[in-house]
Amino acid sequence: MSAAPAQLFPEFIAETLGLPGVAGEVVAALIAAFVVGNIVLAFTGVAGPWAKRKITAAFTDRVAVDRVGPFGLLIIPASAVQLLAKELIVPEGVDRPTWDLAPIVLPASALLGFAVIPMGHLGPVNLQLADPEVGLALVFAFASIASVSLVMAGYASNNKYSMLGGLRAVAQNLAYEIPLIVTAMSVVIFAGTLQMSGIVSAQQEVLFTVGGFDVPAWYALVNPFAFVLFLTANMAEIGRNPFDIPEAPTEIVAGYQTEYSSSYFVLFYLGEFVHIFLGGAILAVTFLGGAAGPGPESIGFVWFVVKIWAFFLFTQWCRSALPRVRIDQLIEIGWKGMLVLSFANLVLTAVLVGVIV
Amino acid sequence: MSDWIAIGALAAVGLFIPLGMMVVSALIRPSVPEQGKSTIYESGETPTGTTRIRFNIQYYMVALLFVVFDIETVLLFPWAVIYRPALEQGVPMWDLLWPMLAFVGILAVGLVWAWRTGAVKWTKSPRATRRKTERDVNQ
Repeated sequence: MSAAPAQLFPEFIAETLGLPGVAGEVVAALIAAFVVGNIVLAFTGVAGPWAKRKITAAFTDRVAVDRVGPFGLLIIPASAVQLLAKELIVPEGVDRPTWDLAPIVLPASALLGFAVIPMGHLGPVNLQLADPEVGLALVFAFASIASVSLVMAGYASNNKYSMLGGLRAVAQNLAYEIPLIVTAMSVVIFAGTLQMSGIVSAQQEVLFTVGGFDVPAWYALVNPFAFVLFLTANMAEIGRNPFDIPEAPTEIVAGYQTEYSSSYFVLFYLGEFVHIFLGGAILAVTFLGGAAGPGPESIGFVWFVVKIWAFFLFTQWCRSALPRVRIDQLIEIGWKGMLVLSFANLVLTAVLVGVIV
Repeated sequence: MSDWIAIGALAAVGLFIPLGMMVVSALIRPSVPEQGKSTIYESGETPTGTTRIRFNIQYYMVALLFVVFDIETVLLFPWAVIYRPALEQGVPMWDLLWPMLAFVGILAVGLVWAWRTGAVKWTKSPRATRRKTERDVNQ
């Protein structure tokens, strides 16, 4: 089922620079990780201070950030400097080590998820750091560390709003983690592997041909029901509207991040965007054929970027268009709706695969 | 092996980026301590009481259910991985399907029980209900 393994990014660097042995492997891995980390940071840099404002402005019929640079793009460095230069206010009675660690845990864990994401080829380079056999399970494990950070921040802040936000984050993750993973399991049934490259290559087959155009067997097309379920659970997992109740600006100020300022706040903001992009990346790999798209394989990365930005746009669309669910509704939707539907989907997929194989 | 070196490298970079930003920020930001600045935010009022109070975790039963379903999910993953390869090797579908159905079925019974006893329902605390009644009486 799995194709010949493509050369991974650290191996490519080790070979190009001629780094031998284990030490060379470590150095190459660090270089590769640095590049991947900065790609993700560049996404969040564009998304946070610029794209998010522009998109929201477009939805609400305004013109946003257009003062600095072409299309207001220079607002990105300006905002970065401005936010980092803010005074850090440490509120009274915060639980000190935890309060300082929470803003590190969120971006670090979300970024770690990108280690196994196959981001496609850019020229001769295959932008994937690692391809272990447990890839899909690993990426969910990394992605769900984020809620630990929210609880840490919520509890340590010594603020009632933060506390509520942290506890809401727990309730939300308890309700949506299982539907998310069980729906992803239906993809695993199709692909027969947890390895990310295997899941992507299993989607390269031709589903049917329309007017000479081969429609690939992306799991979003093979099983649209699972795709919609996964999309919904993914929105809850990354805490975006309509499931943004851990933050809920109109109810509990800013939830778990109420007491954070300066670089700590930036790190939460950044971590959330990395988490959104990680959610988009998981969605792209499991349901949208990874980096597949028209054109040669060497521009796969472009398609991958298009897909995760489409997901980002979708989250912003939901932010502008959908009301927030209440916490009791969230529990009901999660446990009585999504959980049952996701297991039904799992059984149906198993039967379907059994019939077609 | 090199997979885990690469993941470890990204973990190092992932820690380095936030720490680096904290250090840069610490170098360039001002510090103007003022009376009242460090008060915790409570919508502009002076904060009352402590945050670390005892309160009713509504989803306590849900959290217990989560553990059960989480373990189930973990145990289902190996099954999901071998399902299609086993089918392709000619194992009849039903032989592969019924253990999973039995396993999920047992937990489905558990979920039905939890559903009927109201464990996955957001219960209102007695105090919230009482307040509502008093207000209704006053009106």
